[in-house]
Amino acid sequence: MVDQLPNLGREAEMLAAMGMDSIDDLFTDIPEHVRRVDPLDLPSPQTEEEILREARMLLGTNVSVDSRPSFLGAGLYSNYVPTMVAMLATRGEFLTAYTPYQPEVSQGILQAMWEFQTMVSELVGLPVSNVSMYDASTAAAEALTCAVRVHDRKAAQKSTVYVSELVPPHRMSVIENYTQGAEIAIKILPHDEDGMLDLTAAAAAEGACAVYVEQPNALGLLDPGLCELKSMIGENTALVVGVQPVSLGLVSPPGDYGADIVVGEGQPFGIGPTAGGPIYGLFACSQAYIRQMPGRIVGLSRDSDGERAFTLTLSTREQHIRRHRATSNICSNETLIALMGAMHMALLGPEGLEKLAQRNAGACATTKAALLAIDGIEMVHPNGVHFNEFAIRLPRPSVDLLTFLDEECEITGGFDLSQWWPERENELLVCATDQIDAEDIEELAEGIRDWLEASK
Amino acid sequence: MSDLFAFNGAEGAGYAQPEPISDEFAIPDKLRRSTLPRWPRASEPEIVRHYTWLSTRSHGIDSGFYPLGSCTMKHNPRVNERIVQMPGMNDLHALAPASHLQGMMAIFHEMQEMLAHCAGMDTVTLQPVAGAQGEFTAMRCIQEYHREIGQANRDKVIVPDSAHGTNPASAAMCGYEIIEIPSLENGRLDLDALRAVVGDDTAAMMITNPSTLGIFEPEIAEAAEIVHEAGGQMYYDGANFNAILGKTNPGMMGFDAVHYNLHKTFSQPHGGGGPGAGPIGVKAHLSDYLPAPLVVAEEDEEGEVWFDWYDPPKSIGKVQQWHGNSGATVRAWAFYRRYGRDLEKMSEHAVLNANYLRHRIMNPSKEVRDAIHAMPVDGAPTDVVKHEFTLSMTPVKDATGVTGKDVAKRLLDYGYMAPTLYFPMIVPECLMLEPTETESKEAIDQFADDFLNILTEDPEIVKTAPHDTPVKRVDEVWAARNLVLRHPMDD
Repeated sequence: MVDQLPNLGREAEMLAAMGMDSIDDLFTDIPEHVRRVDPLDLPSPQTEEEILREARMLLGTNVSVDSRPSFLGAGLYSNYVPTMVAMLATRGEFLTAYTPYQPEVSQGILQAMWEFQTMVSELVGLPVSNVSMYDASTAAAEALTCAVRVHDRKAAQKSTVYVSELVPPHRMSVIENYTQGAEIAIKILPHDEDGMLDLTAAAAAEGACAVYVEQPNALGLLDPGLCELKSMIGENTALVVGVQPVSLGLVSPPGDYGADIVVGEGQPFGIGPTAGGPIYGLFACSQAYIRQMPGRIVGLSRDSDGERAFTLTLSTREQHIRRHRATSNICSNETLIALMGAMHMALLGPEGLEKLAQRNAGACATTKAALLAIDGIEMVHPNGVHFNEFAIRLPRPSVDLLTFLDEECEITGGFDLSQWWPERENELLVCATDQIDAEDIEELAEGIRDWLEASK
Repeated sequence: MSDLFAFNGAEGAGYAQPEPISDEFAIPDKLRRSTLPRWPRASEPEIVRHYTWLSTRSHGIDSGFYPLGSCTMKHNPRVNERIVQMPGMNDLHALAPASHLQGMMAIFHEMQEMLAHCAGMDTVTLQPVAGAQGEFTAMRCIQEYHREIGQANRDKVIVPDSAHGTNPASAAMCGYEIIEIPSLENGRLDLDALRAVVGDDTAAMMITNPSTLGIFEPEIAEAAEIVHEAGGQMYYDGANFNAILGKTNPGMMGFDAVHYNLHKTFSQPHGGGGPGAGPIGVKAHLSDYLPAPLVVAEEDEEGEVWFDWYDPPKSIGKVQQWHGNSGATVRAWAFYRRYGRDLEKMSEHAVLNANYLRHRIMNPSKEVRDAIHAMPVDGAPTDVVKHEFTLSMTPVKDATGVTGKDVAKRLLDYGYMAPTLYFPMIVPECLMLEPTETESKEAIDQFADDFLNILTEDPEIVKTAPHDTPVKRVDEVWAARNLVLRHPMDD
């Protein structure tokens, strides 16, 4: 018996008011040849209690990153979200609202998103942020199509963008799907053996529409060379930088070294890794890109009494007005998760952000030192400075170590880099966030030693 | 008035953190941040008050009736929120080995099967995270399919002029040229117009049924035949799926691909603009092109079921870099389990409520009728509607100068969210109303009475509405002219 329908048992009364006898009268407009005759082949309705019990059983079989030492990052990061965040974000006025098309009764969500835009703008060093993209990959992809719309007319290299070879394949795949329709050519920027962008090669990007790089890159490396990039590629080529936002508590905001668009996974602020969704993509840009940017944006305004008010603005870029000429097809975004991110940022404050970044950097450095001390383990980039994660080289395939750590030690040891790049079979990407403590690191080091010992 | 950036307590942070386990780390000099972002410095109690205050200035379904057409604003069962906050969901990593994700993959698998069954499709992917992304994903699959079978010349996508804006926008993002066909005078699909534009360059037609007018297209199967005969594919925009579960399905109508809006039909909360989820289902000939990975179930000799990832052989790759909005999938699973086969009942009540609301508005008592300045007219003539309907406020505007927008704003004063305004564009002064199945008869009666009452009010009151909302009518032009897109932080 379904408990979600207030008018169950009152159908006859409502139908009678309309001069109808049966529910079937409401479906006479569906022609017989497309009418379904068999009932849905689905189970009986369940009660809240039964569903909860089954959900607990099913989700209980999952192994979560919080239940054991976990060194798996690679774009999604274990974090701590203050209790207040979920409690406030699930208030019904936020949770059950639609896009704020009617600003007069949506001031709360609009103001919260305007504040979000402000905090993201401060974080990345650019004046404008939208209300969110789906994730970091679609944010990066739409940053590139946006840059092409802005620069293509003057570009010497028409419809061409340059992308770092260290952008992971799953993100690259999204970028390819989103750019192929506009026939955008993607050229790849190489790196040197230290994992730093090859600046000599990057000079070739001058005259293209955009360059996309990440800081830190997918191997956790901070690359000071990216600070030179903007002066090399010039005003008519967009510098797009992907970030891990927590790093910006210690690392320069890309806007300070010339980025025109900054994108990234907002996830560490606001929500756990949550199996990869719902999370939210950051998208911030300089003034020149505003009219070509994707997504919703909130602006300050005033009401008919002259009082401060907020509203969605620049909607003439969007699909519900421009249809096939819109800057993007995005309609639903990830507002609620961005709201959770805003709450998290507001609770952290500037010094809290710095401390969170220090905790991540400290955990990463300590893990690195502990693993380096193990005979048989090499750093893939011994000269590199890392944030959150780093790659190590093992004597044997990293998948063997991961299985050993998982089964023998109940540790999630990291990410097998051959899943992205088959030639990196013996390389493991190890991530330590603020959730890793000294004991976890000791357990990991011991587990690796045992594995090396066992495989001798 | 609470301003987040006015909080600037000396000690800062709203929550204390453990100390770093080491300060032995380095940041390259060139990359060292010199000044911290000017975020607020506030305590937890201050932040709680701030966001609670903001919530009181927002309107959700929990606050009141929300007849926003095409958005299916139904009640969101709260156990679903409880479930996604349980261990084993929020704290899962997408790249963890399959052995760590068996429970979630079981839910994924069940959802793939359930959604395929409800729509008459063969294979479902849960990766797209919004309806628009579902459209985009399906059009990419169709594009690759045509390239594979040597028909890359098919570069045109047909959409009716009543289509959601995302349809043409999504197809255009794939590189398609859009051909818009006009609807008939009565709002129905014009088969002659369709015949006139199909050809060997037709990639697909994108259409929603029931249409955005809330009307079931009687000739949908014929339309599919016309498109298929020309070699094109049929794409079903699932925004209006709430009307037809168990009654018909896109597969029967002749569609090759569909998207589902889990945030409409399956009650994922809209969250003030998202997250959504836009899984797609396709017929067998398109299955190999779906984004990777899908979940497959394998049974061992002892009958133990094991879930694994599977990459379709000709996959278009990824459209979101993880597994889509898994949290939305889990909420939708809990929602569907609540109904099971009675999802059909859900659709029946959605349609019952829409027809009843339309009947109540269009048939006022004589006394009320006499007091009304002018009645709206149907957006399109029809005996029955499905889950939603449109009204044209043109007669009201002609009689009193009160526009559809004015009526929408006045409804806010009565504690309602406004209907969808000025869409579809083919209906002048359009209001589009969708009550959903979770509104009671009393709530619908009250709304109808209030709606009609507005039509009796002094037009000046309506034109200057709203009056009783947190702010008065907002000047959207001022916002677009001045573009103050962040806090100026002038000290």
